[in-house]
Amino acid sequence: MNSSAKSKTEIQNALQQNRLCRRLRDMRRQGLKGLAPYLTAGDGGLETTLAVLRELDAAGVAAVELGIPFSDPIADGPVLQAASERALQAGTTLAGTLEMLREFRQGSRGAAGSDLPVALMSYTNPLLRRGWWNTCQEVAQAGGDALIVADLPVEESGEMREAALSAGLCPVHFVAPTTSEERIRQAGAISCGFLYVVGRVGVTGARTQFDASTQDFLAFVRQCTEAPLAVGFGVAAAKDVSEATRHADLAIVGTALTARMHKAASENQDFLSASVHAAGSFVRDLLRGLAVAAVPEPDQNS
Amino acid sequence: MDEIRVRPAEPPSHGVMETNPRFGEFGGVFAPETLMAPLVELERAWIEFQQDKGFRQEIHRLLRAYAGRPTALSPAARLSERLGCEIWLKREDLLHTGAHKLNNTLGQCLMAKRMGKKRILAETGAGQHGVATATACALLGLECRIYMGAKDAQRQRPNLLRMRLLGAQVEVVRHGQRTLKDAINEAMRAWVGDPQNSHYVLGSALGPHPFPRIVAGFQEVIGREARRQMMDWGGGLPNKVVACVGGGSNAIGVFRGFLDDEDVELIGVEAGGHGIPSDKHAARFQGGWPGVLHGCYTWLLQDEDGQIRPTHSISAGLDYPAVGPEHAELQANGRARYEWADDREALKAFAMMAELEGILPALESSHAVAWVIREAEAMQGQKILINLSGRGDKDMDTVAGLMEMDS
Repeated sequence: MNSSAKSKTEIQNALQQNRLCRRLRDMRRQGLKGLAPYLTAGDGGLETTLAVLRELDAAGVAAVELGIPFSDPIADGPVLQAASERALQAGTTLAGTLEMLREFRQGSRGAAGSDLPVALMSYTNPLLRRGWWNTCQEVAQAGGDALIVADLPVEESGEMREAALSAGLCPVHFVAPTTSEERIRQAGAISCGFLYVVGRVGVTGARTQFDASTQDFLAFVRQCTEAPLAVGFGVAAAKDVSEATRHADLAIVGTALTARMHKAASENQDFLSASVHAAGSFVRDLLRGLAVAAVPEPDQNS
Repeated sequence: MDEIRVRPAEPPSHGVMETNPRFGEFGGVFAPETLMAPLVELERAWIEFQQDKGFRQEIHRLLRAYAGRPTALSPAARLSERLGCEIWLKREDLLHTGAHKLNNTLGQCLMAKRMGKKRILAETGAGQHGVATATACALLGLECRIYMGAKDAQRQRPNLLRMRLLGAQVEVVRHGQRTLKDAINEAMRAWVGDPQNSHYVLGSALGPHPFPRIVAGFQEVIGREARRQMMDWGGGLPNKVVACVGGGSNAIGVFRGFLDDEDVELIGVEAGGHGIPSDKHAARFQGGWPGVLHGCYTWLLQDEDGQIRPTHSISAGLDYPAVGPEHAELQANGRARYEWADDREALKAFAMMAELEGILPALESSHAVAWVIREAEAMQGQKILINLSGRGDKDMDTVAGLMEMDS
């Protein structure tokens, strides 16, 4: 392992250039909230993923979470499990996904390159396979901005954190409704990019309504930390986006988007265009929830 | 394979945990954030349990008066004569419900009840852990839900029926490989969904900390008893202790009794399936390398991209791609060694045990016997203790099917 860890200043400088950090800073400055869709890389093939990424970018999302499929996703519900299985059957790998990401950044076939922040999300094993150090370097070189690892709590994240920061990537940490206040504060204090708020207990996609207890929890996390918050779990409609972004900076939508894309893809001959169209129209609909959220509220001074 | 290792948690800090989550570099707490609080709560309960004399007495009483401990230590006279070594059998097949699993489920369910949990969740492969969990829940009045892979539900059908009779709700898992691995995935998801009211009774010495320590802690009664019995009337310590290793709870249970006896060799036997070169096996130490599955860093069968590889074994209980982290450490520090026996050898051992000893061993346990049969020539005159982790009644359909095919 590389032991020449960068100094704090160097890390801060590295993250100064990080697309996700820059985007979140700009949003804060302008008082904006954003939408961050989750996509399983290679669901429908990487060509589809690339086309959907471009569509989401055009629609005006703030960032994207790109899932690297894993054979045993214990934190995911049936919809995202199935997406992972389809992606693996299509032969999706981390290396292939990074190649696609490089193409997204550089532009190809008439499409311009993009600066949309992209966070890679997965489980420990597929990322650990090449070692944290190599994985982080490769993700950064391909144009990734953050790593989100569903089964890597702060306690086990030491080496990933060091490797990510040295590569100029944000290591993202989680808080959940079961997390103690002290632990929320600690996670907030070391968070880079955003803090991932698991909105309720349960696997992804288990419930499709953004409920009151999630709102209370978000308000509580907001009190504990200044860090930008991204909330996942239970976002499926524009009104959920409005609710989610009352306290959070980013609303994440995964299961509902995946389900719509898959439905469209399986009902149409041209599944690529169908996926792109379904993703685009759904996300544009969700983005209307942000317009509502942008109406100034008395208690918001951002 | 290239060496990629996770550095051990930096001692003395255990993060949010009070005790060390690692065995050497293996183990750890690779769990979704939602489960961190329940895992911390469970670790605290485990620490309290170990210090609470009344609680220890209660489990001791249950093990004696209900489960049937101590289990017998049997000299295997005719098998010994045939093989030319002195073979002793630790008879966990005689424990209530027919396998060692009840040692752990009684302990964990008692803990869960004391923690105020209403509902017990568990996975099962061969069905023995499911039956043992359902049994403990029936005895203690707890609600019980068991997850079982569809392939296992078919090949271990008698156990599926037993669980239902015992009042458990059995969810058959129809995705993935439809075996133990997928049942664990589903049980973990259920726990993520209801961590406050549920306790997840993991059946083997694996998963995130503190599970490997809890399960081994409840299973080490096997090794303590076996050692005492060998000293009392087995004529002293054995040369070798042999046990089959799926996740590895029966093996760690018996090994722990002999860890300090440096002259006693500890041998774990993994499932060789159709043979190591076939790639259709569950011998993690033969064809795997370290990685993270189901909450811990340990030896796994995985591909170049870190995807978990399909496994194969004739025995559902050994048909799992990861080995318990304490075994990974015992292998790393050389205290134990890990061998394998294939499907065919296990079946032969099953038949030989029936014929010579009047015992139908579980197909899992048959792997341990099979390794001893294969290596007997090199062990002439040695005293060998085999942990007979369970009985084979559940395997009658599988064995009958294969015997018909052979005839």
